Amino acid sequence: MDNLEKLIQEKINRDLQAKTRRHFIKNCASGLGGLALGSIFMGCDPLGVPKKQSNITFSDRDLNPLATLPPHFGPKVKSVIYLHMAGAPSQLEMFDYKPKLQKLHGQDCPQSLLEGRKFAFIKGTPKLMGPQAEFAQEGESGNWVSNFLPHFKKVVDEVAFLKAVHTDQFNHGPAQLLMHTGSARLGRPSIGAWATYGLGSENQNLPGFVVLTSGGNTPDAGKSVWGSGFLPSVYQGVQCRSKGDPVLYIQDPDGISRNLKKSTIEAINKINKEEYRKYADPEILARINQYEMAYRMQIAVPEIMDINNEPENIKQMYGVEPGKESFANNCLLARKLVEDGVRFVQLFDWGWDTHGNIREGSIDMGLRNKCTQIDRPITALILDLKQRGLLDETLIVWGGEFGRTPMQENRGNKEMQYKGRDHHGDAFTMWMAGGGIKKGASHGQTDEIGFSGIEGRVSVHDVHATIMHLLGFNHEQFTFDFQGRPYRLTDIEGELIKEILA
Amino acid sequence: MKKNIYKGLASLGVILGIVLLWNMLKPQEEVDFSTDIKPIINTNCIGCHGGVKKNGGLGLLFEEEAFADTKSGKPAIIRGNASGSELIKRLHEHDPELRMPYEKPKLSKEKIDLFTRWINQGAKWGKHWAYTLPEKVELPQVILEAGFEPETQSDFIKNGIDNFVYARLESEQLLPNSPAEKNVIARRLALDLTGLPPTQNVLDDFSKGTISYETMVDSLLSQNTYGEKWASWWLDMARYSDSKGYEKDQGRSIYPYRDWVIKALNQDMPYDQFTTEQLAGDLLSEPSEDQLIATAFHRNTMNNDEGGTDDEEYRVAAVIDRVNTTFEVWQSTTIGCVQCHGHPYDPFKQDEYYKIMAFFNNSRDEDIPSEGPVLKFYTPEQKLQVDKVNNWITNYGNLETAEAYKNFLMYTEPVYNAHVLKDFKNGAYDNHASAVLWDDGSCRLEDMTTQGGTSLYLKYSSGKNGTTMTFRKNNAQGEILSRLKIDKTKGSVIRKVPFKKVNEKFDLYIETDNSNVAKEVNLVNLYWLTLLDDIPGEGENGYKNIDQTLMNVLNARTPTVPIMVENPNYMKRSTQVFERGNWLVKTDTVQPTTPEALNVWNEDWPTNRLGLSKWLVSKDNPLTARTLVNRVWHQIFGRGLVSTVEDIGSQSEPPSHPALLDWLSLRLMHEHNWSIKALIKDIVMSGTYRQSSESSPELYQKDPKNELYARGPRQRLSAEQVRDQALAISGLLSFKMYGPGVMPPQPDGVWQTVYSGEKWIESKGEDRYRRAIYTYLKRTSPYPSFLTFDAVSREVCTIRRTVTNTPLQALVTLNDPVYLEASYTLAQSMQTSEDVEGSISFGYEKATYSKITPTQLEALKELYQISFDEFKNNTDSSEPFFHLKKKPSAHLAALTIVANAIMNLDEFLTKA
Repeated sequence: MDNLEKLIQEKINRDLQAKTRRHFIKNCASGLGGLALGSIFMGCDPLGVPKKQSNITFSDRDLNPLATLPPHFGPKVKSVIYLHMAGAPSQLEMFDYKPKLQKLHGQDCPQSLLEGRKFAFIKGTPKLMGPQAEFAQEGESGNWVSNFLPHFKKVVDEVAFLKAVHTDQFNHGPAQLLMHTGSARLGRPSIGAWATYGLGSENQNLPGFVVLTSGGNTPDAGKSVWGSGFLPSVYQGVQCRSKGDPVLYIQDPDGISRNLKKSTIEAINKINKEEYRKYADPEILARINQYEMAYRMQIAVPEIMDINNEPENIKQMYGVEPGKESFANNCLLARKLVEDGVRFVQLFDWGWDTHGNIREGSIDMGLRNKCTQIDRPITALILDLKQRGLLDETLIVWGGEFGRTPMQENRGNKEMQYKGRDHHGDAFTMWMAGGGIKKGASHGQTDEIGFSGIEGRVSVHDVHATIMHLLGFNHEQFTFDFQGRPYRLTDIEGELIKEILA
Repeated sequence: MKKNIYKGLASLGVILGIVLLWNMLKPQEEVDFSTDIKPIINTNCIGCHGGVKKNGGLGLLFEEEAFADTKSGKPAIIRGNASGSELIKRLHEHDPELRMPYEKPKLSKEKIDLFTRWINQGAKWGKHWAYTLPEKVELPQVILEAGFEPETQSDFIKNGIDNFVYARLESEQLLPNSPAEKNVIARRLALDLTGLPPTQNVLDDFSKGTISYETMVDSLLSQNTYGEKWASWWLDMARYSDSKGYEKDQGRSIYPYRDWVIKALNQDMPYDQFTTEQLAGDLLSEPSEDQLIATAFHRNTMNNDEGGTDDEEYRVAAVIDRVNTTFEVWQSTTIGCVQCHGHPYDPFKQDEYYKIMAFFNNSRDEDIPSEGPVLKFYTPEQKLQVDKVNNWITNYGNLETAEAYKNFLMYTEPVYNAHVLKDFKNGAYDNHASAVLWDDGSCRLEDMTTQGGTSLYLKYSSGKNGTTMTFRKNNAQGEILSRLKIDKTKGSVIRKVPFKKVNEKFDLYIETDNSNVAKEVNLVNLYWLTLLDDIPGEGENGYKNIDQTLMNVLNARTPTVPIMVENPNYMKRSTQVFERGNWLVKTDTVQPTTPEALNVWNEDWPTNRLGLSKWLVSKDNPLTARTLVNRVWHQIFGRGLVSTVEDIGSQSEPPSHPALLDWLSLRLMHEHNWSIKALIKDIVMSGTYRQSSESSPELYQKDPKNELYARGPRQRLSAEQVRDQALAISGLLSFKMYGPGVMPPQPDGVWQTVYSGEKWIESKGEDRYRRAIYTYLKRTSPYPSFLTFDAVSREVCTIRRTVTNTPLQALVTLNDPVYLEASYTLAQSMQTSEDVEGSISFGYEKATYSKITPTQLEALKELYQISFDEFKNNTDSSEPFFHLKKKPSAHLAALTIVANAIMNLDEFLTKA
C-alpha cells in the first residue's frame, strides 16, 4: 500500500474534529468570535430590520447577491475544482500513448499535415518526435498513464478521460479565454462566474468563487479568465494569494483589534439602519449585510487559507510547502474550500509551455518536473475528497488550453537546444472525476500519431455543456440578457458529452 | 408636503376620467406595426423566422422577406386578406404539427385579432421607433387643479423635462417628492458634475442664497474637475487604458488621448465635432496635433504581442472591435451579431457589417509591437529642426514630396513592416516585429510599389560589423537596386540609401552576406523599409545640412501616441465578407456603405471614416442624439430613459418617457447645437432632478427602479468617486491635471503578468493623491480597489458598469491604506473642536454635508469611547498604528476610528 493511502486511513478521526468546528462556523455568524453583531439575514439574531417589512418582500438576491438559488434540475455535484495547467501540457507524454509516433521518430512530418496550417512557432518541415515518456495500462480500466505520473496511475479508475478535445485557438491568451469563458475574445463571464451567478454560495463567510494560482505567474490571459464579463462583478473569482493578504485588504490594519473592528461595523450598521428608514432603499440593507459578511470573511478566509492547521499526515499526503506558493498547497486548499461550501475553486498552475527553447520548457526535463509537481497533490486531492465522502458531490476538471504537436518544434527554422513541442489545438486530453462522472471511462481517440481526433471529438463548448449539466443546468437555457440578446456560456454551440456520465 | 399626496388623488381621478373618455372617443385605431405587431413577432416568431433561421422560407425581419413567396410557393401574408393568409391560418390551426408558434401554446385571442386586423388593414410595415427620426412633440400641458397645493407644482416644474415627467406621474397617480434640502442637492449636483463633493465656499454661498441654484450649476460646469469626472464615462466606452492588453500586456503611451478627452469636455466641444475628430481627425484637411491625438480613440484597441500570434488575425480583430465599438458608442446597436449572420432582431444584414468594416479596414496599423503609426512629440528644439526640413522641401520640391516628408516626420508612415517579408532562407521573421537574417540569408517582399521613390529608408539593428545587405529586383539574379554595408549599431537606427528607380510593381529581393560570422547567427534585425523621393534641392547651399538634420530628427527618440492614419492608395486593402464570421474564409468584396435601415448617405461625403462620422452626426441619424441623451441621463439618474442603455432597437426596453427622449434629442441637435454641457444643464435644472430621494417602503415598492421619477436619484458612488471623495474631504486630493498614469499605493504582488518586467512603482509626493482618472490602468491587472467598486478593465467598450454591493468593498474602505490615511487626515482636522461631540459632529458634517442626528452621534460617540478606552489601556507606544511612523494619542487614534466609520457609511458612499 502506498504511503499516501496509509496516511489517509490513519487520520480520519482527527479530521472529524476539525470538520465539526467548521460546520459550526459555516452555519451561524455567532460562531465567529462571539459576534454580537447578530445578523439580519442569516436568522441568528436580527438587528431589527426584518426581511419582510409591512407588505414589502425582498428576494434573497436583493439583499445578498450570493444567496443560493436552485438550478434547472437535480445537480450531480455541488462544487467544482478546476485544475488548469496554464501553458498547455503535452498529452503525448502524459495520457495519449502513440507507439506509432515512436516508430516514426525523427522522420519529416508528412506535408499533408502541414498544408494550409498555421503553427505558433513551427516553420518549414518539422520532424516527428516520439513520446518522451514510458506508458503502461493502469488500473482495472486499463487506461494509459505515463511514468511521469507514478502516483496518479493509482487513481486512474476514478477519472474519465476525454482524449480528443479540440479548440480553434492556438495562442495561450485567446485559448485560455475560450477555455474559461467560451469565447476567445474578452468580455464574457467565466465558468466559475456563471456557476456562482446561477447557484449562489453555500457559505456566506467565504467568496463563492475562489482562484488559486501557482507556478510564479498568473495565466497569460490575465484576470479575465476568472472575470464576470457582463454578469455583476460580485460573481467574479476572488484570487486568494499564498503571500501577503490571502484576499486583498482582508487584514485589519495595524493597531486595530478584532474587538474594535466589531465595534466599528456595529456603529456603521446602526447608522445605516437609520439611513434605511429615511430612504427605504434595499441597497442599504444589502450593504448592512455585506459589512457583516466582510467581518466574518476576515476571520474565515485567513483561517481557511492557513494550511498549518492541517494534520501532519495530510500535509505529507499532498506534499505541501507551507509559506510558499505551490500547486500542492492549492490542492489542499481546494479541498478545504469545497468542504466549506465554496462553489467553484479554480486552480491555475503556470509553466507548462514546453517549446524546448529553455530547459524548464523542455518535454523531457521541464515537463517531467511539472508532472512531478502535480502528481502527488492531484492524487491526494482525489483520495482525500473520496475518503471524506466529498468526491461524489464535487467535480474535478483537469486540462490545459490546448495540446502539443506530435512534431518537434523548430523555432526560427533551426534545431532547438532542448526537446519541445509547439502549440496544437486539434487534439488534446482532458479528464474529469467526481460526482456524475463514469469512473474509468475514456472517450475519444486520436490518429496514430496523435495529430487529430478520429473518434469522439469534443469541443471546448461540449466540455462546458457537460460541466453545466453536472451542476444542474441545461446549458442552452442558462442565459443572461445583455445588449439586447440572451447570452450563454456555450454561445450557440455545445453538446453534452454523455459518454463520460455515470 | 408629502402628506398632501393623497389629498390630490381625488382631483387626479377627474383628470384620469377625462383621459379615459378621450381614449374611448377616438376613432377605431389602426393597428401599428411597430408598437402592436413587431413585439409579438419578436417574442413568438423571430426565433425561427428571423435573421438567422428562416424556417419554411419565411423571414419576418424585413418587409421584402415577409411578403415574399415561402417554400410552399406562396407568400404567408396577403395584404388585405387575413383569411387567405397562411400566417393567420397557421395561428388558428388545431394540428399541433402545423400550428404556429411551433410546439408552443396557441397565441392569445387578442394577439391573433391584432394580426388579423393588421393584415386586413393592409399589413402596413413600419420601422421601429428607434430607426425613425425623433418626432417634434409639444410639452404636455400640466393642468392646475383646484385642491392641488400650487407650490407642489411650482416647486417641481422647473423646465420642460418636468412636464413630461409630471404627466406620467399623474397617469400613475403619483406625485413628485418635495425638493431636496440645499445641502443635499448641492452635494448631489457637485458629485454629478465634477465627481467631487462641493467646496465649502460654493455650499455656503448657495445655502445663504448668495448664489442661485443655476449659478451653482454654471460654476460647477466651468470647473476643470467637470472634464475629469465625465471623462471616466467616455473612457469606458473608448476602452482607454495604459497597456496593450492580451498576454504580455505591455505599457502603451496613449495618455495624451485621455488628456484630450478631458480638455474637449471642458471646452464643451460640440458632440458632432467631438465625434468627427475621434473617428477621422487624421482625414480632416491640415489636421492639428490635437485632431491627430483624438484619433487614438480607435487605437485603444488591444495589440497582441504574444509570440507566435498572427499579426493579421489581430489586426482584423482590432478592426472588428472598431466597428462594434463605433456602433455601440454612437448607435446603441450591437452590430457584432451581424458579423456571423443577419441580425436576429434588428434590421441589419450580414454583408452590411462588412460594408461598415470597409470604412475601418484601411488604417495603417498592423498589430505590430511598436504600434505604428505613432505620432511623434518633438521637443521645441527638435520641432524647429523639423520645420527647417519641411520648409526646405516645400521650397525646392513639389507638393507631393513635401506632404510625404511632412507625414513621414510626423508619424513615420507609410512603411512596409517586416512581417510582410516572405520566403526566408537563412533567416526568419522573429515574432517580435523584425526580420532576422544570417549569412547567405534572403527574403522577399511581394508586390512592392515604390511610387518612383529613389531614397530607401530602413530601420534596423545589428550586433555585427561588416554585413552587406543587397536589394535586388524580383529574385537572386535580379538587378541590384541598392546595397549597403551594415555595422554594429547602438539599438535600432533609421538609415537612408539611394535606390534605383522602378516604376512598376515588383518583388523586392533582400539578401545578406557576412562570411566572417558563423552560420545561423543574427546579422541584422530589419524592422521596416519604405521609399520616398530624394530630398529636393541637391547642390543648393545647405543641402547637406538639411540632409543631416532630417536623419537626426528621424532618429530622435520622442514620446509618442498611437494614431489612425489611412493607407495610401497603393496599400489599400479590399474588404470581403467573412463566411460565418471566420476571417480566414473570405467571400464577396464590399465597398464602404452604411446600413440601409438608418439615414441616407449624402453623396457629398467622402466614402471614408470622415464621411462615416458625418453620417453619424447628421441630424437625420435617428440614433446618435437619442443615444447621447439616454446615456447622459443614465449617468445622472442611474437609469436610462431606455433602461438598456447599450441597446436601443427592437430588443431594447421601451423608453419610460418616449416623448421626453425625443424632445431632449431634438433640443440637443437643434437648439443646443450638440453641446453636452447644455444637455447636462437641462437635466440638472429640472425639478425632477432636484427632488428629494427620500422614500418609504410602500412608495419604494411602487417604483423600485425609480423609472417614474417620483423621487430624486440615489446611487452608490462610482469607483473613481469613492476614492476622490475620500481624498477630497480629508484634504489630501491633488488637483494636478494630465500626464502619464500614476501609481498610488497598491498591495505587493498584484501585478504578475507573464513575460513582463514592468513593475508598479509607487508614485511619490502629490502623485499619490491624484484623481482616480489618472491612475495607471493595466488591462490584465487594473487597480484592485477600483475593480472592487465595479470599474472595468477597459479591454472592450463598456457602456454600462453593473453596480454591485459586495463584502470586498467593505474591506477596501475599512482596510485599504488609502482610506486609512484619509481617515487619519480627517481625524486630524476633527481635533480642532474642543469636545468629543464637537469633533465627531464636525467630521460627520465635513464628510456627508449633513447635520448629525442624535442617533448617529450616539453611535459614533460610543465607538469613540470604546476605541479611546482600548488605546488608552494599551500604552505600548512601540506598537504600530495603521502605517504611521509614530503612534498617535489615544484621542486622535479614537477619532481616526470614528473617521473611518464615517467613510464607510452608506450615506457617504452614496449620492442621495
